[in-house]
Amino acid sequence: MLRHLRLMFCFAKFSLLGELAFRSNFLLKILVEMIWLGILLTFFKTIFGKSSSVAGWNEHEFLFFVGAYYALEGFVETFFLENCVEFSELVRSGNLDFCLLKPIDPQFFITLRRVDWSTAPKILLGFIMIGFAMFEIGKPLELWKIPVFLILFLCGCSLAYSFLLFLTALSVWMIRNQSLMEVWWLFTNLMRYPRQIYDSEWALPIRMVFGFIIPALLAVSIPVEFAVKEINIQFTSFLFVIAVVYFFISRIFFNYSLKHYRSASS
Amino acid sequence: MIVIKTNNLSKLFRVYEKPAGLIGSLKSLFNNKFKDIHAVENINLEVHEGEIVGFLGPNGAGKTTTLKMLSGLLFPTNGSATVLGYVPWERPIEFRKAFSLVMGQKSQLWWDLPASDSFELHKEIYAIEPSRFKKNVGELTEIFQVANLLNKPVRELSLGERMKLELIASLLHDPKLLLLDEPTIGLDVVAQSAMHRCLYEFNKTRKITILLTSHYMRDVETLCSRILVISGGSMVYDGQLQGLKDEFGKEKLIKVQFNNLVPDQVFDKFQPLEITGNIVRLRVAKNDVPNVLAVVSQCEDVLDISIEDPPVEEVIEKLFVSHRLKKM
Repeated sequence: MLRHLRLMFCFAKFSLLGELAFRSNFLLKILVEMIWLGILLTFFKTIFGKSSSVAGWNEHEFLFFVGAYYALEGFVETFFLENCVEFSELVRSGNLDFCLLKPIDPQFFITLRRVDWSTAPKILLGFIMIGFAMFEIGKPLELWKIPVFLILFLCGCSLAYSFLLFLTALSVWMIRNQSLMEVWWLFTNLMRYPRQIYDSEWALPIRMVFGFIIPALLAVSIPVEFAVKEINIQFTSFLFVIAVVYFFISRIFFNYSLKHYRSASS
Repeated sequence: MIVIKTNNLSKLFRVYEKPAGLIGSLKSLFNNKFKDIHAVENINLEVHEGEIVGFLGPNGAGKTTTLKMLSGLLFPTNGSATVLGYVPWERPIEFRKAFSLVMGQKSQLWWDLPASDSFELHKEIYAIEPSRFKKNVGELTEIFQVANLLNKPVRELSLGERMKLELIASLLHDPKLLLLDEPTIGLDVVAQSAMHRCLYEFNKTRKITILLTSHYMRDVETLCSRILVISGGSMVYDGQLQGLKDEFGKEKLIKVQFNNLVPDQVFDKFQPLEITGNIVRLRVAKNDVPNVLAVVSQCEDVLDISIEDPPVEEVIEKLFVSHRLKKM
């Protein structure tokens, strides 16, 4: 465990050094992320300028939700997304060889070896928005709820990571896997809004598929509902269980895919 | 001690065949055709501790596939292997710590960072003790004479410089076995010689076992005490380089240099390869060499004479051709 933490620190350190070798690119990426946040908040303000609640969520609760979503997306983008996207190129070029030869867990090395520091501010900004929303709600989060919320937040991250890992593993057979980003975009779009917006009858298939089979709708909704709305024990436990189960299933599938790696020619 | 041992090691690849053109591509969407390719067939080999073994073969012979199976990257279709006492494709951590694979066409260093940073990361990944790491970096940078390159971003290095640093990275954790896949590809003669010197020294001082593939016969002649030749996925020769020369090099190349022009008709019966000015080049059967020397001794103004084996490339090519003919 300690060794893995040291390695993560090294990955983070050398990734930062790598990013800083191209400072303008790094700063531009941060600027683009800030603009995206600005657009998201403007959209959010416009909606709540016309209505006092959306699908049962008032403005401050929704701001909490947006903050949690932003932090979760930032977490996945900072630590995993770039590595997963690069995986198909590693397979195509045969450079995956070097990852598999290293004396560490391949999943750990492949999905964590580069940290995208330009998206790291999203995590911080997300939590600042959560703090601001709590302040606006005017009811402080009970102390015991903070660690549980963080655990549920990590369950949401783990769910997103498992989904990403599953898509990544497919690259071993597909070689070129540009659809990965497209499907990830679909996943983030489903996480982006509270699950209650799919409460209508017509949305039943979406609710079933993305609420239970590929539970993207739960990744952000359940931790936030736990913090600012009534606690739903069934869904909270479901998120916890499904996050653990999906983590192990995706890990098994990833290791299975590595056994089918053919290694490109020299 | 046996470091590598394989028993009928084989690898079959199923390759997708796509017909050319748009119609072919559309057809292949519904009707995939596959072809089985035997990349490696029943390879049996043994490599002992401290040996430097050259692994030769034409493109597509199965050299890299064999190296990848020996390093655990590929699962064989058939057969078995042990490397340093481990089954490679089970990929135990201890096995991965005990060897290194260097590929001349691929880089394991971080492109945008100086090599010293990649070495530091390597230290963490291989859990190398700080004192041992410091000692190895010091020794290796001295052997390879690259102390001035450690802090330059890798992308700014020449190919030769980068290859030296790749080799250092692969040696930092004191591997017992070094698998080298065309390590001198693209290097100029000076860089190649430097690489030979370093590998030779490392093999002698640390008793590291080296299995090396290369298309450059200089690598093989300079470094390897023994060669393995593979063709069409099968092993066709295992032994000393000289043995191969004796078996397939049944001719000698003779060059005679005169003070003045080459005398007329004297060498005609040996069918000279070429006569240019004062030099004549001949290719004769080994048992014809005394006859040539007898003729030369009767000439008056001979300046110099040399007798050489044909180039190793030619010898190996003959081996490949003879193997192909046997298969037909």
